[in-house]
Amino acid sequence: MTAPLQPTFDRLRVSKELSRVASATVEEILHGAGAEPERSRRMRVIGITGAPGVGKSTLIGRLARSRLKGARSLAIVAIDPTSPCTRGSLLGDRIRMEDLGEDPRVFIRSLPSGTSEDGLTDNVAEVLDVLEGSGFDEALLETVGVGQTAQGVRTLADVEVLVLAPGAGDHIQAMKAGVMETADIHVVNKAEQPGAERLVAEVLGVRRRARAGASAAATVIQVRAGESTGVEQLSAALDERLAAGAAVDMQRVRQRYRVQQLVQRRLQETLDQLPVTTWDASLPDNYLAVLRRLHAEARQFNPSK
Amino acid sequence: MTDASTHGSLRGRRILIAKPGLDGHDVGAKVIALALRDAGADVIYTGLRKSPGYIARVAVDEDVDAVGLSILSGSHKELVEEIVEQLKALGARQVPIFVGGTIPEADLPELDRLGVKGVFTSAMKLDDVVAAVTEALV
Ligand SMILES: Nc1nc2c(ncn2[C@@H]2O[C@H](COP(=O)(O)OP(=O)(O)OP(=O)(O)O)[C@@H](O)[C@H]2O)c(=O)[nH]1
Ligand SMILES: [Mg+2]
Repeated sequence: MTAPLQPTFDRLRVSKELSRVASATVEEILHGAGAEPERSRRMRVIGITGAPGVGKSTLIGRLARSRLKGARSLAIVAIDPTSPCTRGSLLGDRIRMEDLGEDPRVFIRSLPSGTSEDGLTDNVAEVLDVLEGSGFDEALLETVGVGQTAQGVRTLADVEVLVLAPGAGDHIQAMKAGVMETADIHVVNKAEQPGAERLVAEVLGVRRRARAGASAAATVIQVRAGESTGVEQLSAALDERLAAGAAVDMQRVRQRYRVQQLVQRRLQETLDQLPVTTWDASLPDNYLAVLRRLHAEARQFNPSK
Repeated sequence: MTDASTHGSLRGRRILIAKPGLDGHDVGAKVIALALRDAGADVIYTGLRKSPGYIARVAVDEDVDAVGLSILSGSHKELVEEIVEQLKALGARQVPIFVGGTIPEADLPELDRLGVKGVFTSAMKLDDVVAAVTEALV
């Protein structure tokens, strides 16, 4: 055994920077953004999504071992849901990544979903910016357990892995129209359990219908994350996908996503600030009132301040 | 459940709940974790039998505002001291530490000297625990 490579990042600084950015308000993000347009990104981002409990965190723990071979650093961002009632969260993903605990090259940050509604977290694009700026070559991004849409992770990740597991009932039915079609790689985890073969067949069926002619077979990988079986194969598939590069101009897509997230939050804040009696008016009047309010905010906004 | 007086009092606060040492009971730690979450905190839970070095690393990586340690093994003084040292070794500022478990009265001054901001026993009401954590963090 050789001694582990020394990490290339400053733990304390990365940690503080991440906190600053993760909790930043819309204004703080805008003021911190600088004048340049969206740049191309050097850091590879691997997005891992899938329904609650399918084994995303366990898989990341094992996959990280494989990604670390010869690497100097690896970042993991794991997102768990914020309770809509208490606004608190229980961030437990890292319990499943325990065997990474002693490797100083690994940096794991758990984040609550906050006001984000697409399985990610507020300011997640800026969180990734911080990691890239801190010298990480690669980041694994675990979404909240979502089934329906995963637009955010599709936009921000260079490769999107959808994890499925047998026994989760008919959730594949619900996912057909969304993430089932956009994911680059499908993992059927818990492959030792009954129903795994059938699930693989179902996934292949959906894939075939979604993109006729594409080689769907290569994208479905059976894994037993509990025993690391299939993880090397997944890692190789990731490398292949990353080497192929993106089909569309991701800079523009990312910039659009950032703007959308900020405007959505701003709108939410604006709605929250209006007195409840506002909503006694007619629908067109309310609609116009909200737009006017946003317009007034736009006139006040001074990005250089 | 926590009552209205502590509702939202820990919003935006990041708190690590960790179990160092060898005992295998984490019911108390989980109950505290849930109570803190219900008060609005983002609670990072590490699971059983973590080394002081690991706990300090997680406290740094997760940039937590406080660390809660559940210790039933009796070696609370040694474990707290070791965690404080490991935090220093990582260059981290001293975060408030809370300890839950069976802690003899006689050990309280020593824990206080090590920077422990509160000691909780299973006899305490959850609301009082949450209130004490809140007070130490504002
Ligand atoms: N049988 C079996 N169980 C597994 C496997 N991989 C993970 N699990 C178990 O599945 C459960 C959920 O695993 P997690 O990794 O927490 O799942 P997750 O998708 O991250 O869950 P959320 O973050 O809550 O959405 C745990 O009890 C794991 O031990 C596997 O390959 N086989
Ligand atoms: Mg998870």
